[in-house]
Amino acid sequence: MSDAYDRNLVESESSTYQRLAASIVGVGILAFAFALAALFDLTAIDATFVGLSLSNLLGVGTTLVGLGVVGLGAVSYVGYVETTPDRSAGLVPAVLFGLLWFCVAGLVVSQTFGFGALVWLPAALLVGAGAAGVAIFPREDIGSTLPAGAFALLVGLVFLTNVIGPDWAWSPTDFSATFTPKIVVPFLTVLAVLVASWAAGKAYDDFGARGRQTGAYMLIALNALGILSVLVILVAFVVSKGIGPLFEGFSVGASGIDWPFVQNGNQLTNDVNGVFPAIVGTFWLVVGSVIMAVPLAVGAAVFLTEYAEEGRFTQVVELATNGLWSTPSIVFGLFGYAFLVPRLGNSTSLLSGIFVLGFMLIPLVLITSREAINAVPDEYRDASAALGVSQWQTIKSVVVPAAMPGVITGVILGVGRIAGETAPILLVMSGSPFPSKRQAPNVLDISFSFTSSFPFVDASLISQEALLNSASALPYQLYAIITAGVGQSEAFGWGTTLVLLLVVLSFYAVGIASRAYFRNKLRS
Amino acid sequence: MSETTSKAQTQADAQTGQQSGGTTVEGETQEELREEWVQYEFDGQPAISTRDVNVHYGDDHALHDISIDIPKNSVTALIGPSGCGKSTFLRCLNRMNDRIKAADVSGEVEFNGKNIYDKGTNLVELRKRIGQVFQSPNPFPKSIRKNISYGPRKHGDIDVSLLSRLLGRDDSDEEDELVERCLRQAALWDEVKDRLDDNALGLSGGQQQRLCIARALATDPEVLLMDEPASALDPIATSRIEDLISDLAEDYTVVIVTHSMQQAARISDQTAVFLTGGYLVEYDDTDKIFENPESQRVEDYITGKFG
Repeated sequence: MSDAYDRNLVESESSTYQRLAASIVGVGILAFAFALAALFDLTAIDATFVGLSLSNLLGVGTTLVGLGVVGLGAVSYVGYVETTPDRSAGLVPAVLFGLLWFCVAGLVVSQTFGFGALVWLPAALLVGAGAAGVAIFPREDIGSTLPAGAFALLVGLVFLTNVIGPDWAWSPTDFSATFTPKIVVPFLTVLAVLVASWAAGKAYDDFGARGRQTGAYMLIALNALGILSVLVILVAFVVSKGIGPLFEGFSVGASGIDWPFVQNGNQLTNDVNGVFPAIVGTFWLVVGSVIMAVPLAVGAAVFLTEYAEEGRFTQVVELATNGLWSTPSIVFGLFGYAFLVPRLGNSTSLLSGIFVLGFMLIPLVLITSREAINAVPDEYRDASAALGVSQWQTIKSVVVPAAMPGVITGVILGVGRIAGETAPILLVMSGSPFPSKRQAPNVLDISFSFTSSFPFVDASLISQEALLNSASALPYQLYAIITAGVGQSEAFGWGTTLVLLLVVLSFYAVGIASRAYFRNKLRS
Repeated sequence: MSETTSKAQTQADAQTGQQSGGTTVEGETQEELREEWVQYEFDGQPAISTRDVNVHYGDDHALHDISIDIPKNSVTALIGPSGCGKSTFLRCLNRMNDRIKAADVSGEVEFNGKNIYDKGTNLVELRKRIGQVFQSPNPFPKSIRKNISYGPRKHGDIDVSLLSRLLGRDDSDEEDELVERCLRQAALWDEVKDRLDDNALGLSGGQQQRLCIARALATDPEVLLMDEPASALDPIATSRIEDLISDLAEDYTVVIVTHSMQQAARISDQTAVFLTGGYLVEYDDTDKIFENPESQRVEDYITGKFG
């Protein structure tokens, strides 16, 4: 260890080595980004950059990374720089490298050279065992860099020599899928970069304990980067496809905003058809099921945590709620279709949809509310009891307010699930998938007037007719357009997708804002 | 001290003895417990007197026949090693043990001439009159004002609800007076008077504990039970709480459980010493307990030989 200490005093010696490792990771990340871009259609695999096709370019990148990683290991091994490697790279990397090289050798021997199992299996086992051996027996600096660097190098050379190039395709004999370079090249690049970056990260901090930390950090960071980019690309993809139809005919004039896609329904006379009835349907669906489910679920949670004794009964209830939560939505839909629809006017209706989605919402809100109420410190209950305050008063004014942020988290999660639910709506709520504007459910119907006959007033708050008639919803419209190919064009569907995304996000925003309000109330 | 021991030994011969003494008690000397060690004579009425209080947690006999009288308007300290039952005994005095399912209390606790364990005892009224302060500060996550007025509001003594405000008959003025009075009594007013509507969790630990004392005072109790109120606080906050307790003893009866013998010696008028197994060994004037205890084991405990 004194070596490590001395070396740390003389930083300039190792900084070249560190810069080399960092630039290898840099090249790797660049290749990673290009691979992801190709995977998501942002660029083509045979597009040319600086005179090279993308696959060749990725080949250059991975070759450099592979050479670099092997070089880092070799330089450390011959003692050109002083590092602190362990005696072995360890069992887990060895097993993983063994598996990786087993697959590589197996695929090459069986698919490229066309040998049967009698040949490829021993060959693959031999190569896999060899890679595992390289990881186990030499010192860590060779054991963790050589198998990783060699893999990146192999991938790079295969791309460079156009063995796998833009025109390559692989149709395995045993099943019907055909692998095109569009998928295979990015996939291999990402894999090679992940493995090589791990090794380079280890080398950056001189192997040993610190090196392992950095290697793991590299892997996790690249992973997070990948997941985040999938999310961003997904949203960007939907936005780019949907923004056109969404703003078709959009104008801001003297008479206010004219936004046909959002304000119109479907009618022959419309210039631009819109999704207004579906937006309204989804809105009332979500609001209705939240109004129905949240009080029930929170009440049940209060009973189970504050009043019921822990025992067989609460266990059974817990089992039942967990089971309900994982019940497929089509089962809820069928229940609604067979049980609720005949009892609520014998036709599909908004109300049945609200009930079914409410039933689906209850378990999650119940589970999260129970957690939240359990997490309220017992000190609050003791303090309240010691002041002579009754249990119900305590629950009402201390326990539930303290649990409120957790309850709302549950509602947010639940709304995220039910707002996009299609299957139950299909069964219990849907009528025409593309209703006209007049058919939008007008749930709030506030009117008040005096009449000449008993009971002398005619007041209404909620329209029965709207609740008991079928309504459309955004996910259902999407299903109708994309899957069933009914009615509208595909562009209309992308517009609907974008609107659905925005509606769900705005429900999220409301939820998150109210959670912040309640948290704030508890803290300041 | 050997004189005292030999005197105690001779007394032991003459005494019928308590049934459970000696045999189950841990400690270096297996001495008998004596009735007269826990007899404490004082002038005036007791605020609370207990008769043969026993507590069982399932099969565990946590308290054995505790019978003491607690004088009014004074500070009574309960001391003893961990697990000796002093906190359990404290919780018997306002029936907070009811909240622990496994706890089974027998015996009598007389408060204002009535046994609080009788059927039909009004727990709301009992706990209004016997307030409690806990070991770690536990203010509600509400404003300072709402923390103080929480009890009276819930009991309907102060009504500041929206309805009463709309009807113009709310008790906002009474609430302000109450908050100021309690905070002054708890020596916290000057520190928080400008931020009564801030969240109580923003106060320091010592301030929170004084707020909890103020909250307990708000229901206008006669007795204050304190369960190691200063054990989670730093020395400065501790000394403020101790000063406060001494002041409060002029108007209230304070029963305090403490781990710190110095604290008991500083602030209490009389001290009850519990020892391992749930036995009350000695109860007398604090000076007497700390200077000249009758029991050898109490002396060992106080001088730090065990416990």
